[in-house]
Amino acid sequence: MDTKETVLSILSDLTGSDLSNNMDENLFDDGLLDSMGSVQLLLQIQSEMGISVPVSEFVRSEWDTPNKIIAKVDSMK
Amino acid sequence: MLSFTPYENPTYFVILGIALIPLVIGLLYGKRSHLYETLVSLAFLLLTFGGPKWSTQGVALVVYIIFEMLLTWGYSVYRKRGQNKGYIFYFAVILAILPLTIVKVTPAVDGGNNSLIGFLGISYLTFRAVQTIMEIRDGTIKNFSLKIFIPFMLFFPTISSGPIDRYRRFEGDFTTVPDQDKYLKMLGKGLHYIFLGFLYKFLLAYFFGTILMPKLAHTAMIHRGGFLDLSWSVLGYMYCYSADLFFDFAGYSLFAVGISYFMGIETPMNFNRPWQSKNIKDFWNRWHITLSFWFRDFIFMRLVFWFMKHKTFKKPTTTSNVVYFINMGIMGFWHGVTWFYITYGLFHAAALIINDAWLRYKKKHQDSIPHNKFTEYFAIFFTANVVCFSFLIFSGFLNTLWFTK
Amino acid sequence: MGKRLFQIFGPLILAAALVLGIFLLPGHLIGYTANKKAQEQAAVSLSPSVLKGAGLKTAALDDGYVPFFGSSEWSRFDPMHPSVMAKKYHRSYQPFLLGSRGTQSLTQFYVMQNIQPQLKNQKAVFVISPQWFVKKGVDKAAFSAYYSQLQTTEWLNQYSNTKMDRYAAQRLMQMPSAKSDHIVYAALERVAKGQQMTPNQKRYLGLRQNFLKSEDNFFSGINLPNGNLKKVDQQEKKLPAQYSFSKINQLATDLGKKETDNNRFQISNSFYNHGLKQEVKHLKGFQENLSYLQSPEYSDFELCLDQFARLHTNVLFIIPPVNQKWADYTGLSQSMLKQFDQKIRYQLQSQGFNNIVDLSDKGDVPYFMTDTIHLGWKGWLAVDQRVDPFLTKKQKTPTYHINDDFYSNQWQQTTTVTN
Repeated sequence: MDTKETVLSILSDLTGSDLSNNMDENLFDDGLLDSMGSVQLLLQIQSEMGISVPVSEFVRSEWDTPNKIIAKVDSMK
Repeated sequence: MLSFTPYENPTYFVILGIALIPLVIGLLYGKRSHLYETLVSLAFLLLTFGGPKWSTQGVALVVYIIFEMLLTWGYSVYRKRGQNKGYIFYFAVILAILPLTIVKVTPAVDGGNNSLIGFLGISYLTFRAVQTIMEIRDGTIKNFSLKIFIPFMLFFPTISSGPIDRYRRFEGDFTTVPDQDKYLKMLGKGLHYIFLGFLYKFLLAYFFGTILMPKLAHTAMIHRGGFLDLSWSVLGYMYCYSADLFFDFAGYSLFAVGISYFMGIETPMNFNRPWQSKNIKDFWNRWHITLSFWFRDFIFMRLVFWFMKHKTFKKPTTTSNVVYFINMGIMGFWHGVTWFYITYGLFHAAALIINDAWLRYKKKHQDSIPHNKFTEYFAIFFTANVVCFSFLIFSGFLNTLWFTK
Repeated sequence: MGKRLFQIFGPLILAAALVLGIFLLPGHLIGYTANKKAQEQAAVSLSPSVLKGAGLKTAALDDGYVPFFGSSEWSRFDPMHPSVMAKKYHRSYQPFLLGSRGTQSLTQFYVMQNIQPQLKNQKAVFVISPQWFVKKGVDKAAFSAYYSQLQTTEWLNQYSNTKMDRYAAQRLMQMPSAKSDHIVYAALERVAKGQQMTPNQKRYLGLRQNFLKSEDNFFSGINLPNGNLKKVDQQEKKLPAQYSFSKINQLATDLGKKETDNNRFQISNSFYNHGLKQEVKHLKGFQENLSYLQSPEYSDFELCLDQFARLHTNVLFIIPPVNQKWADYTGLSQSMLKQFDQKIRYQLQSQGFNNIVDLSDKGDVPYFMTDTIHLGWKGWLAVDQRVDPFLTKKQKTPTYHINDDFYSNQWQQTTTVTN
């Protein structure tokens, strides 16, 4: 599986909605993600992809849309 | 010798304005003189902590800064060697918050006496230091430098009460110069903020806090004796205190941000229309933002991360509920070790938990729960009132009402 | 860049220039225009801003008003209140009430500083409350509420190195409000030590006084509360059209009887209901150990006497009693009150202040007091009996001989005086 697919499947688990058609939707503004969800996202990325992201790397403005998350994860591979 | 509480009177602003002129001219021409900035900072730190306050506060500040400096620097050296033991990290954090803890606990255990090591702004400096240590551990701060850390800690516009900036953000502004167009915009905004601050702090907060509040407090005290000593005046006091708290603190924050902008540093805003919050979670994204985000990033998220990683609780909601209590409890405790501050923190934890449960319920029953303009206004009204009630607890007035003769 | 900078800072510079320009204009150029109505309101307003200011007071005192120094008793408006009596019977004097809850000698000393020309060779009335003379003297918070930088600068601009000024500076330095201006504080330090102020301090104080005076001229007439003037007008209607002592005396008895019938202390019903009723059972005996004999207030009071003597002001002093029924209930010592009376009279008479209305033994006269410690109906009438002739008839010029020993700690702590 590539990054995009994995991230989208994690996100759909977390938010309960399919985001493949809304790749630039702001997840925090829409209330789909909050601090709790962000931590779950980081943990899932770690367990499913083996990439560990420290909490202080998590700057909301860099992780607020599916596209940005994918780019961020790719950059940390 | 001259001595001021920051932003307290016109003289302070006049002196500040004059001191900033060379700095502003420099930035307009693309030059940032760290030497001049250091001199201005030193001068204003002396005005705040020197003179009559030197022996009670100034010395404490100097000792504190040296202590935190050695600690962070030591930890960064340790991390640079590639080592990363958990207990060393915990030990460093504990040491970093130790002075603040002593200052906060002393009055509660020593009959109201203030600790000798306290000074104006110690808690805000502690936030900055702890944050730096945590990011050094995470490796997000890679090139820790005392040349950044000291100006960051002692950045005088925000030293007494925030906003709480972040090391990496500060570093970015501090080591560069905004281009002329951007800087001119910042000057315009900065001046606007400062004047809005005048309106907030010297007119509105004065009206609510100095003129109206004592009257309401007085009538509330006279009308004691009913159920829980409550009266209409207590309700009036609640709103009046909330208005005073907001205008005073938001006004102060506007000064701090405005002056930062003049110095070419984009200190983050502390308030964003908190009285328009839709729910209590929204409120904490709008009220004392830099503090609540600090708690979110360095306490809430880390604790959640830790609990979930170790699978301490089965359900994520249990995890978040437990962490809300810890997070807000610490926030209450941080305000001071009194029953009303801690109750205030726990009250907000409960409100956040209820709010989360409601949002989950709402999501599940989307079709049957109406959502329209009226419910939106009602949500804002309801949230504002819950918040004002929490401020009544926070004010300590209930303590006066119930427990004084 | 220049244009954008001007857009940003132009309004600020313009506003600053305007404000500075207006405030730095010499005070007399703006001048103070007080109309009769404002004076009438100010005279009974008891507002801290009137007390702290200058323009309204001086204009009114130049216009036939007489300063009545005191404290909370002034807010007890009934038909026999001095302001009501003077207005009703068109007396040649009208009281200008100076002081309200919490004002004591030290505040009054500073109040005198910007009405010196109006006090010089004139008459005044001064009510001395025994309750001022508590162990700690004036309450710091209360002093702050009535503290006026304008008065302080006016005083410093004309001070001379005498015991009075040194003591006043030293007392002021003990108050938190003195620290509100560090240059003034530094000047006070020098005055207290008997040194000259530095030229810079003098220059600053001159500018500061000018500034504050302009501020006062601008703002002191704004937003004057007129509630008290309404009270005076209401009370006035109850008085007989023609002055008649026996009629007014009867009225005082009738009103007193009617308005004190819900308690056993002959305290006015409204005062009793307003917070005292619930507390009364806890208050039995609570004044047993209270003493008015040892207090820094004695020396603060000396400041007032000293200032009056320098200005040759002829002052009528009034010593009110304490409601005897209340004193008995709360255990306030009668012998202590008697000693207080002796001590304060000694301080007055030994320095030539002989116009004293000593009412201290009238605490048991029915309807003399309106509440626990404040004069009312019959009490006010007794005051009027002495105030009216004092102010309307020619008086012998007093000769004062001030004794600096009254500034000493020893006098503050003396409990017995032998005449």
